[in-house]
Amino acid sequence: MIPKLSRAGGRPAAHHGLLGAAEAAGARLPALLVAAERVAATVAQGVHGRRRVGVGDTFWQYRPFVQGDAASRIDWRRSGRSDRVYVRDMEWEAAQTVCLWRDASPSMAWRSVKGLPAKRERAELLLLALAALLFRAGEQVRVVGQGRVYSGRQGLARLADTLERGADSDGLPDAVRVPAQAQVVLAGDFLAPLAEIKACLARFAALPVRLHLVQVLDPAEFELPYEGRVRFMGLERDGEALIPRVSGVRAAYAEALQAQIDGVRALAAAAGFGVTLHRTDHAPETALLALFMALDATAARR
Amino acid sequence: MIFTAPWVLLALLALPVLWWLLRATPPAPRAQNFPAIRLLAALRPREETPARTPWWLLALRLAASALIILGVAGPVSGGGGGALPGAGPVLLVIDNGWASGPDWAARQQAASAVLDRAERDRRRVALLATASGIEAPHATAIMPVDMLRPMLAALVPMPWGDDRAGAARAVAGVATGPGVYIGDGVAGPDDAAFAAALRRRGPVIELRGALPARLLSSLAGPAGLTAVLTQTPVAAPRQEEIYAETGDGRVLARTPLSVPAGAATAQARIDLPSEFRNQLSALRLAQAPGAGSVVLLDEAARRRPVGLLNAGSGDTPLLGTNYYLERALAPVAEVRRGDAATLLARPLSVLVAADRTLAGPEGDKIEAWVRQGGMLIRFAGPSIGSADDLLPEKLLEGDRQLGGAMSWSQPEHLAAFPPGPFAGLALPRDVTVGRQVLAEPSAALPENTWAALADGTPLVTAARHGAGEIVLFHVTANADWSNLPLSGLFVDMLTRLVQRASGVEVAGDARPLPPAQSLDGAGILGPPPSGARALGASELATAAVSPIHPPGYYGLEHDRHAFNLGGHTALHAAGPMSGAAELSLAAAPQAVRLGPGLIGLALALLCADLLLTLRLRGLLRPAVAGLILLLAAVHPAAAQTAESPALGTHLAYVVTGDATVDGVSKSGLSGLSDYVNDHTAAVMAAPLPVAPGKDDLSFYPLIYWPITAGAKASPAFIAALNDYMRQGGIVLIDTRGGGADGAFAPGTDAALRRVSEGLDVPTLAPLTSAHVLARAFYLLTEFPGRYEGATVWVQQDQDRTNDSVSPVIIGANDWAAAWATDEDGKPLFATIPGGARQRTLAWRFGVNLVMYALTGNYKGDQVHVPAILERLGQ
Repeated sequence: MIPKLSRAGGRPAAHHGLLGAAEAAGARLPALLVAAERVAATVAQGVHGRRRVGVGDTFWQYRPFVQGDAASRIDWRRSGRSDRVYVRDMEWEAAQTVCLWRDASPSMAWRSVKGLPAKRERAELLLLALAALLFRAGEQVRVVGQGRVYSGRQGLARLADTLERGADSDGLPDAVRVPAQAQVVLAGDFLAPLAEIKACLARFAALPVRLHLVQVLDPAEFELPYEGRVRFMGLERDGEALIPRVSGVRAAYAEALQAQIDGVRALAAAAGFGVTLHRTDHAPETALLALFMALDATAARR
Repeated sequence: MIFTAPWVLLALLALPVLWWLLRATPPAPRAQNFPAIRLLAALRPREETPARTPWWLLALRLAASALIILGVAGPVSGGGGGALPGAGPVLLVIDNGWASGPDWAARQQAASAVLDRAERDRRRVALLATASGIEAPHATAIMPVDMLRPMLAALVPMPWGDDRAGAARAVAGVATGPGVYIGDGVAGPDDAAFAAALRRRGPVIELRGALPARLLSSLAGPAGLTAVLTQTPVAAPRQEEIYAETGDGRVLARTPLSVPAGAATAQARIDLPSEFRNQLSALRLAQAPGAGSVVLLDEAARRRPVGLLNAGSGDTPLLGTNYYLERALAPVAEVRRGDAATLLARPLSVLVAADRTLAGPEGDKIEAWVRQGGMLIRFAGPSIGSADDLLPEKLLEGDRQLGGAMSWSQPEHLAAFPPGPFAGLALPRDVTVGRQVLAEPSAALPENTWAALADGTPLVTAARHGAGEIVLFHVTANADWSNLPLSGLFVDMLTRLVQRASGVEVAGDARPLPPAQSLDGAGILGPPPSGARALGASELATAAVSPIHPPGYYGLEHDRHAFNLGGHTALHAAGPMSGAAELSLAAAPQAVRLGPGLIGLALALLCADLLLTLRLRGLLRPAVAGLILLLAAVHPAAAQTAESPALGTHLAYVVTGDATVDGVSKSGLSGLSDYVNDHTAAVMAAPLPVAPGKDDLSFYPLIYWPITAGAKASPAFIAALNDYMRQGGIVLIDTRGGGADGAFAPGTDAALRRVSEGLDVPTLAPLTSAHVLARAFYLLTEFPGRYEGATVWVQQDQDRTNDSVSPVIIGANDWAAAWATDEDGKPLFATIPGGARQRTLAWRFGVNLVMYALTGNYKGDQVHVPAILERLGQ
């Protein structure tokens, strides 16, 4: 049984809270690594083989010696078994980059009950736990839209800092500065109109990247636990709605929300991307495991 | 319940409309942030059932509105009993003579309740006050109650008696029906006529107060000043208090007076030493403001001190010179005996020297005293010489014999007194003079002669000497040379001389005395009213207090006489008025307004409604609501800490068992601790009571021990104090008597001697300004407390083992009473003789004591001598 993670601290706390929680999440996941090693052998090993000749540690091929090779590269054991002189080639291994992004708009900085984390905090927790795992496996991490690369232990602290201090932005990422062959993870609530989400995903689909979406929602957004006459106000200056009797619209709202979730899933599937849905009152380990598996599945598929 | 504005109740009809409005208006919606607003906005609500205010909130609001309407309508309750009798206009008669002064507020309140009742019954009222002034009492016109209220408020008690005859005439002239009479309980000669006049008009209600009418008078006797209280008898015993006040309002003595049940008079003696008795100007009854509770004192109540110089055989009964003088002076003055130095040490009015030469240093001292304004009365005799210059006239050598065996002439009689101090005295026919000294004839002799014999030879001569006078009787003060000292004329002459010495002119009898100051109805001295006329000097004893002769001071500045209600008014209790229903003042119908209470309740309901509405809208944070409830319910709990005496520096006072003395010690030492905290770097905590022998004394640097007359000291007590002093503590012993003879606390000197028998008191010496105690913080030359003048004793020799600090300080100036302050910081006891300087010096002495106790001989160190010398030199 996966041990329960401690919930990440509140926003105003130093990022050590988030970092500590993330590290704790990472520290308790060697079991996760072991369980996932079967399907994530390349991830656990570290650098990925690029199936080309280049600098690396893994044997790739023997090839005959031609004029111009350095004489110290001759493999005498293979050459001694036959008449010709052979040079040993290694496979080109390079670390893979994972690009992370989280939705920093005001609608994410909301929680329905004091005991739950805000959606943004949960999204950042998931991304940082993922980054901790990736750093342990030797990967490099970038944030979508920024050029800075994070790696190693120090990288986790700096990444946490960057995520926390990130300015409020719009709801959807720009597909700029994403390196080729990178793995992109987008975390947000994706409540924007489906047309906008479709345009965004189309931009990412044009790039040679693999993408995964994590949709983080609050349980109140699922259940609408309000009674009576309520004036709902949007957080991003998108107007108000006065509902005379909330219990009357609850069913219709649930349908609308489900339609939105299904729409996002369909759009992602059409572009070949995965979606993980997460409620903030559920444990983050489940989402992390799903995200992990999804990343490896994507890597394994290619 | 009656409503004073019943038309406001019509607003109750609007309540159903309010209910309909509140029900129809939906409550304000709750506000909620929600990110998925876009999804909600796209929804169309299925059904539109309007939200409603819950019924209990509606009921709360309706109840609050109803209470406000009821409150504004002015409900008034009470007024069951005590209905006004009869019908038609009412006559309200109030006695406002001197006897109504003490409870005037209650009388006015009862009258105002009667007016309220008349206003409710919509009857008009006329007002009549029975003691009005120079003009006769007259009733106001019959008018509505609200026009009469200012007139009632303007009524004040008068310092003279009621004029019932005038009131009866006024009643006859007014056309009212029933009457309400608020009487003061003092009977007068015209009561029956007044009652009959009232009854003729209609039914009468009489309202009577519960307090008896009280009249204060004074008796001045050789034993002292006695206050006499006359009152109408009541069934319960009463306790009164009499304040003896000086002219500027300081209270010098408080004397309790207890009146037994049913008694009509009671007396109490005012206990004061004679110097302070002579400062008194009024006796006042406590808690009874009125002209009848004040007795003004004049010269007749004062006893000037007269000193008799010791003569060799002066005390021999019937033969000695001072024998007759003492008996003649005793009724009118306080007589002191001694030699010149002792007598002149205290203030003296008259010095009588019988048959002595006054020469040498004694004579110089007496002459200096006479120059300052004293009166010296001398009697001739065998030893008086012509070389003496303290004489009004030069005397011839030898004396003159009249009658006797070797002479032809007969003893001479006295001639009628010329105008002078003795003018008007009755001359007994059997006073003769057998031998006298003669004065040398001079130009000034006739005007210096105050009494002469039948042949013109002067008997009494006098002359001014500086500011004072020297009077010489040309005969002896005993019966050797004449029988003047045996007669009543001697007493009268000496009385006149003593009165003359105190500045009172006693001239002819019939001169008029204009009013100088008068008492008003509340017992306060002020300028005389406009109708007051002069009083003849001979009428002082017999006149009655009336509007033309109000009580107060009459006469010119040096000749003030007091005219009081006390000695000039007969006090008889008035019986119940015949034919009238009798009620007590307190049972007068009172109206209780309920309006403000109802409005307050409505406001509380509205506050509850506000809180509930906020809760429904979700705006009430539970934390804030909890905090508000907590603030409303919290009681500041005073932490009771039993203070350990070791935790701070405390002064201590010995518990004597007398609650008054202990209270004064405690407030005195806490006042001193506060003063020390304010003015020095020392930090003193609150003083603590201590019982030597039971409590541990080692925590306290200074212990204050006030001696009471009944003080007792057990051996354990004395042993504990000895131990304490040996270990370095300081005991301040205060006999609280003050002055040269401890007159303020009689018996304490003897008590001190008794309780200090086992005490290790070292050899004592008077405290001078050269002692360290007089320099420990302030530089002092005198050490007063509440009183001044008593010597303060400290240890004579310096004891190096005790750090040269005196373990005991003994005084009599009652320092705790000078330091005692109440919680506002105002002093509790007046200093005697008084003045801010005395109190400042008392504080400074206290600070010196505390510094001495805390720092020991620090200021005695020779290191500081140059600095001290420099300051003393300036």
